[in-house]
Amino acid sequence: MVTYITRRLMQGIVVLLAVSFICFIIFRYAGDPVHTLAGRYATFQEQEMVRKAFGLDKPFYIQYTRFLANAAQGNFGKSFVTRVPAFNLILERLPASIELATSAIIISFIVGVGLGVLVSLQPYAMRNRLVMAGSLFGISIPTFLIGILLIMVFCVYLGILPPFGRGETRMIGFWRTGFLTWSGITHLILPAFTLGMYQLAVLLRLTRAGMREVLTKEYIKTAWSKGLPPRKVIFKHALRNVLIPVITMTGLQFGELIAFALVTETIFQWPGTGNLLLTSIYESDQPVIVTYIMLAALIILSLNIIVDILYAYLNPKIRYD
Amino acid sequence: MKRISTLLLMGIFIGTLLSLTGQAIGASSIAVTVDTPPRTMHPNGSNADANLSVMSNFFDGLLQRKGSEGKIVPALAERYEHPDLLTWKFYLRKGVKFHNGNPFTAKDVKFSFERLSNPEVSEFINTGKSIASIDIIDDYTVVIKTKQPIPWFANNLHQVYMMDKESTEARDEAEVGVKPIGTGAYKFVEWVKGSYLRMVANKDYWEGAPSIDNVELRAITEPSTRFAALVSGQSDLVSGIPVELYEKVVKNPKLEVVARPARRAIFMALGNEPGSPTADIRVRKAMYMAINEDEIIEKIMRGHAAPAAQIPDPPTIGYNPDISRLPYNPERAKELLREAGYENGFDITLAGPNDRYVQDEKIAEAVVKYLAKVGIRAKLDVKPKSIFFPEVSEGRHKFYLFGWFDGTYDMGRSYFKLIHTQDKEKGLGEWNAVFSDPSIDALLESTGSIVDQGKRRKVLQDLNKMAMVDKIAWIPLHYQQDIYAIQKGKGIKFQPRPDRWIVLKEISK
Repeated sequence: MVTYITRRLMQGIVVLLAVSFICFIIFRYAGDPVHTLAGRYATFQEQEMVRKAFGLDKPFYIQYTRFLANAAQGNFGKSFVTRVPAFNLILERLPASIELATSAIIISFIVGVGLGVLVSLQPYAMRNRLVMAGSLFGISIPTFLIGILLIMVFCVYLGILPPFGRGETRMIGFWRTGFLTWSGITHLILPAFTLGMYQLAVLLRLTRAGMREVLTKEYIKTAWSKGLPPRKVIFKHALRNVLIPVITMTGLQFGELIAFALVTETIFQWPGTGNLLLTSIYESDQPVIVTYIMLAALIILSLNIIVDILYAYLNPKIRYD
Repeated sequence: MKRISTLLLMGIFIGTLLSLTGQAIGASSIAVTVDTPPRTMHPNGSNADANLSVMSNFFDGLLQRKGSEGKIVPALAERYEHPDLLTWKFYLRKGVKFHNGNPFTAKDVKFSFERLSNPEVSEFINTGKSIASIDIIDDYTVVIKTKQPIPWFANNLHQVYMMDKESTEARDEAEVGVKPIGTGAYKFVEWVKGSYLRMVANKDYWEGAPSIDNVELRAITEPSTRFAALVSGQSDLVSGIPVELYEKVVKNPKLEVVARPARRAIFMALGNEPGSPTADIRVRKAMYMAINEDEIIEKIMRGHAAPAAQIPDPPTIGYNPDISRLPYNPERAKELLREAGYENGFDITLAGPNDRYVQDEKIAEAVVKYLAKVGIRAKLDVKPKSIFFPEVSEGRHKFYLFGWFDGTYDMGRSYFKLIHTQDKEKGLGEWNAVFSDPSIDALLESTGSIVDQGKRRKVLQDLNKMAMVDKIAWIPLHYQQDIYAIQKGKGIKFQPRPDRWIVLKEISK
């Protein structure tokens, strides 16, 4: 187990290096930040002065190694646009993204798995067939359309939910949370649902497929014939065995929901990291983009490793050597 | 599992209780939504109008621009003198206090102007570097000398905000960049980046306390969400209503739409490299006449633009009312092309941004089609502004869509950037790598030392006519329109400004 984890960590570091390198190469083609930094009336000399001040006059490999050296010490450089450390900028936004992703994952897990179990019990009932057909929409309709439709219905026509932002928030230490106010929770509903929609549909289909397979197994028949109450048979004996791939899926998607909720965050003007990334790309704010992508890679890598380890716990048949 | 759900329920319950104790929004408050977020709270850290607009509430310049006319009037300087071409003498207002209680004096002026040259905190490097010296005569008199004559120096001073020397030096730059302390009509309360910016009225403001006490400013970049914020009543005042949603806003009985001509002109720059087809004035004329601007305004801008015959807008010094657009006439355009020897047309690439101006990409597409009708084969090359603009100043495009307005209301500075032959050493023509005309350059250079406003207007008007009529330096398209919406029945009095700034002390309720 220990060797396995060490090996995974080493691989992780290589991946991070590769990601940062690719980022740097991409920036050569992503626009020259000096134009934004110097202002539109700056002369060429003034632009050169700015280029020097931000170290952008140095050749590629020097800029890259300098970035790596600084990053190793936790210094990711200052944002070109806001002129504050890029890492702080992202850290400030992270709670919003994590709260949104967590809510989305909880909604999709509870609703998805719950519906999946229900549907699997009577697969041919009309209403269950409708649910399955509906889940196809969840998979195939793009997020931005779901978001805009939800805004149209709930904010513009019905006027019962707010269309944008986080509402009132409270600070708990460094963590700005929207969970503690009513306004914060109402603001969360639509974006969380939009973000979790795809996930929900996938989990529903996964659970249903798994349940239908397991319910035909001999040990389930035994359980029924023993006269166990349905709740026990379904949840304890059947669902437990189905949950392994479901949890893997959930865990793997969680990282991506935090890191790439870009579209949802933009539509609902959610002040999370995805929103920040998009603005930074528009303004060619390179330090923020690099830091963000590195951080996203780090989150997804660590979640992958955690899922692999949990897997071994959930399923004793799996051993890593 | 049971434990977790109990915890969750409790959390929601406590949250509901907490929210009941949250403050109610009082009568004198306003929620404003804009389309571009502020980037930084360094007052001079961005020269984008979106940022200057926000900063104008926390800070004052030596001068300010007021109301719908944008006239320049005194602010922190009560008056100024311009004894010779290089010297500007400012007499400061007495008794002005910063939000932290420090008095505003000459040392703050010197400090603020010197800070402009520091690229770490300023985008006004050009202004900062043009200053030779700043001398403090006494606590309330400052003399600024520029390196070269800058006739429009004072015109720009509403954008250069005065900072408190003592507290700025005492604080960390990162802190200065998020918590502004100025002399402005509003005091900073809280900025949650990406969400909102809150401010409260400065009761001791030197012009008198503003009408509205509490302000919450939000930026929503996504047009449809901005629209939803407006329709659902979450926002009292919204700027940047997209033209495609205009009809819907007008029809809504709860909303009032305010529109005004924008200062920004949209035009096409066209190189005149010797030997290229576009060096021939007949070809330039033909391209101008081939474009059906009325149709662009009607179909693409949905009526929300006014045809332009020149780059500056009417209030700008140098605007010449005698210049009119060449008529749309594709037949004549074909004739002109034939005369110039291009009866079979030629190939050209039209570049442009796709995320900068209203409907920019669609306008470029339309132009390509109009040109095709007279036989010019134009290829479209649109890209994001962060890539497009650097390419323009490097001279990679010979024919491109561009937009411009000058915050100084003086055409001189713009022309030096936009049409003077590019000269990297002298810092001329940064936004013009493709057009060069010695007679325009000569006339433009002669305006550098004319300060008398009457004379200046005359010469700049002549220059403008020469560029637009005799040389067809650009193909002008239109002036955009700024569209705002406000909630009816809340008694909000709002007059849009020419520069699109939302200056809250000018709004009353």
